[in-house]
Amino acid sequence: MAEHATAQEALFALREQIARMEGKALPALAASQQADAAAGIEPSIHRLSGMRHSLEIPALDAALDGGLPLNGITEIRTRLMGDAGAASGFVLALVARLKQSAAAGLRVLWISELVSMQEAGRPYANGMASFGLAPEDILYAAPRKLEDALWIAEAAIGSAALGAIILEVRGNLKHFGLTESRRLSLRAKAAGRPLFILRHAGDEEASSALFRFLAEPAPASERRLPDGSMLGGSIGHPVFRLTLEKSRNPAPLSFHLEWNPRDRQFSLVHKPGDAFSSQQPPAHRGDRLSASGNGQDRPPALGPVLAFERAS
Amino acid sequence: MRLTALDEVSERLGLKRGQGVAEARAMFPNLDLHDEDEAADRTLLEAIADWCDRYTPLVSVDGRDGIFLDITGCAHLLGGEEALLKDVLGRLQQMGFDAKGAISSSPGLSWAACRFGSGGVISDDCGRSNLAPLPVAALRLPEAMVSGLQKLGLKRIGDLLHLPRAPLARRFGTLLLLRLDQALGANEEAISPRRPVAALSVERRLAEPFQDEEQILRLTGQIAGSLKPGLEARGAGGRVFELVLFRVDGKVFRLKAGTSQPLRDPGRIAKLFSERLTAVQDGFDAGYGFELLRLNVLQHETLKSVQDDFGRRQQDEVLLADFIDRVSARFGTDCLLSASLKQSHMPERAEVFIPAIAGQAKTGDVKGDRVLRQVMLRPLRLFRYPEPMEAFAATVPDGPPQRFRWRKVIHEVIRAEGPERISAEWWLDEPEEDERDYFRLESELGRRLWVFRKGRYNGAKQAPVWRVHGIFA
Repeated sequence: MAEHATAQEALFALREQIARMEGKALPALAASQQADAAAGIEPSIHRLSGMRHSLEIPALDAALDGGLPLNGITEIRTRLMGDAGAASGFVLALVARLKQSAAAGLRVLWISELVSMQEAGRPYANGMASFGLAPEDILYAAPRKLEDALWIAEAAIGSAALGAIILEVRGNLKHFGLTESRRLSLRAKAAGRPLFILRHAGDEEASSALFRFLAEPAPASERRLPDGSMLGGSIGHPVFRLTLEKSRNPAPLSFHLEWNPRDRQFSLVHKPGDAFSSQQPPAHRGDRLSASGNGQDRPPALGPVLAFERAS
Repeated sequence: MRLTALDEVSERLGLKRGQGVAEARAMFPNLDLHDEDEAADRTLLEAIADWCDRYTPLVSVDGRDGIFLDITGCAHLLGGEEALLKDVLGRLQQMGFDAKGAISSSPGLSWAACRFGSGGVISDDCGRSNLAPLPVAALRLPEAMVSGLQKLGLKRIGDLLHLPRAPLARRFGTLLLLRLDQALGANEEAISPRRPVAALSVERRLAEPFQDEEQILRLTGQIAGSLKPGLEARGAGGRVFELVLFRVDGKVFRLKAGTSQPLRDPGRIAKLFSERLTAVQDGFDAGYGFELLRLNVLQHETLKSVQDDFGRRQQDEVLLADFIDRVSARFGTDCLLSASLKQSHMPERAEVFIPAIAGQAKTGDVKGDRVLRQVMLRPLRLFRYPEPMEAFAATVPDGPPQRFRWRKVIHEVIRAEGPERISAEWWLDEPEEDERDYFRLESELGRRLWVFRKGRYNGAKQAPVWRVHGIFA
């Protein structure tokens, strides 16, 4: 009996250690939730509410373990440079939500390399104003080299003056792999500040980001008229097609999210083919265009993917 | 080809400046000759002038081979004029330069005593007697005038001193009298310093040279601390600091660092330079160490003293300023930018990027009319230069296209909104500049673009051009 108790204790200690490494709630708390789940009660999504920002969509918050992490990396990638609008829009929408919930003014640092600026355009303050981000809230850093960008990101995470940091890169870069993202992730965790990596035209890659979204554009909703009907043929609130590629859930999750800039509120858009379950694969594979010659068209590996290779 | 400069050995052999090379070669076949490199000479002279900064902030380069130091009020720091001159000449000699120096109450007299006399310290009352035996060339006159004077038998300055001034001026112009007065000190002559004089400056001389970066930074922090009383007395904080490091072999390093807010805190000043040192790593060579550190305040501004409160807001401001300063010191002021809105309805002119360090508090000239700006939708990202696109099947005369090609890809237009007509700003642009019709287009993939048409389909001289100007979310 005593032996059994010791084994139990060792097991709990290990579980606790694993939970701490993974940044989850401690198992003592989780165990009660498991018991709840076994009894058929919906698990509480506000486990880590201190370090999470709820997007106020229950299904999405559950998939994100309670909401957007405020102490880690969230990556948003696109397949093609042309989708930069959707990805930038989604990141800025997230930042705008953070800003709304922050009591004091939240300053944002947008670090971007010159190539992204040329390819996707410079951030435009007048456009961002409609997202609720005033020009004086955002600082832009345009470093010449990636190492400089990483240094600035690290310094920014360490500085308490900035509330959110956006790091914009193009493609999978050789000097921005797992090691570097791990470093940034640890810094972000220690400082309790969110870092968004906006990766244009990038592949899936092993990284230290807690979540990774694939952002794609989707047809915008129509403008709502005062009487509640829609104005046909008009371009209203933007809609993003998002796939949650990396999360604690085993299967990718695909959904359409509409962003209401005025209320700073996301809402789910249900369209035929949307999958909000892990059974169906994403309806939209995004393989309309042939892959570039940069090693992306290699034959797919057999068996389930356990870890991504370096894409760079 | 002629000889322009000689070393001590060849001077002793009897060679002269201006002598033909062939003649000199005939006299001494194994003569070691080098082409003159004026630029290199100039650089060397500038470097020596830099080194002379240790004695006084007012240093100016004179001609091809001279340096003026204005040591007013500086001599006592080095134990008097005699000691100062001895120190300068001694150190220059150790570096291998053959230098002569003179200290007097006017630049003209020093120049004359240095080049034509024996040099040394000339006291105020014996200026005239020192000047008299020198040749007229010692007055910094043009050659023609010197030879003119010599023809008249006026060989020494003493000969001129007794002559009536009016005939001299009539015969040789006012320059002669000006130079004479300048040499005598009757006419105040200011030297033009190479660098602006720092508002405040502190320095530390080291008995033992420093090589280690950390030691340098620690010392910078210390001397920044002694800068504090001076800044406090003025009620100011520094905006631009300069750290001057004098290496033992005479090389001088200057590191400049700006701040976004007036700064007085020694710790933060030292931190700025730690970033700066990392940034210039390659160009920075401690060699045998530094013997003199100086910290200058090049620009300062009024620093509002605010009592610390418990609120976070103010603390955040300080932290932000600190972050901006560090990044700007490391990567240059162009690295960190902030957007500023301008009163212009041309989209690309409505936003300008300014260095964050320059205008943290200022937010451009648009402040009150934010409501107005929200009326029209603007894209999230704007191309710096509108990108060309080909529009197909555009509705004539002023409708959106059905299809367009941009970056080599054909996009089908599903929905379009517009046009929003924006006229050129006649007060800036050409008067005949066409207005632009902006459309929001949504392609079949859901990409939303901001495009414009410039010109009209009216069978006029030119077909209109289409451009993609921005991307919507």
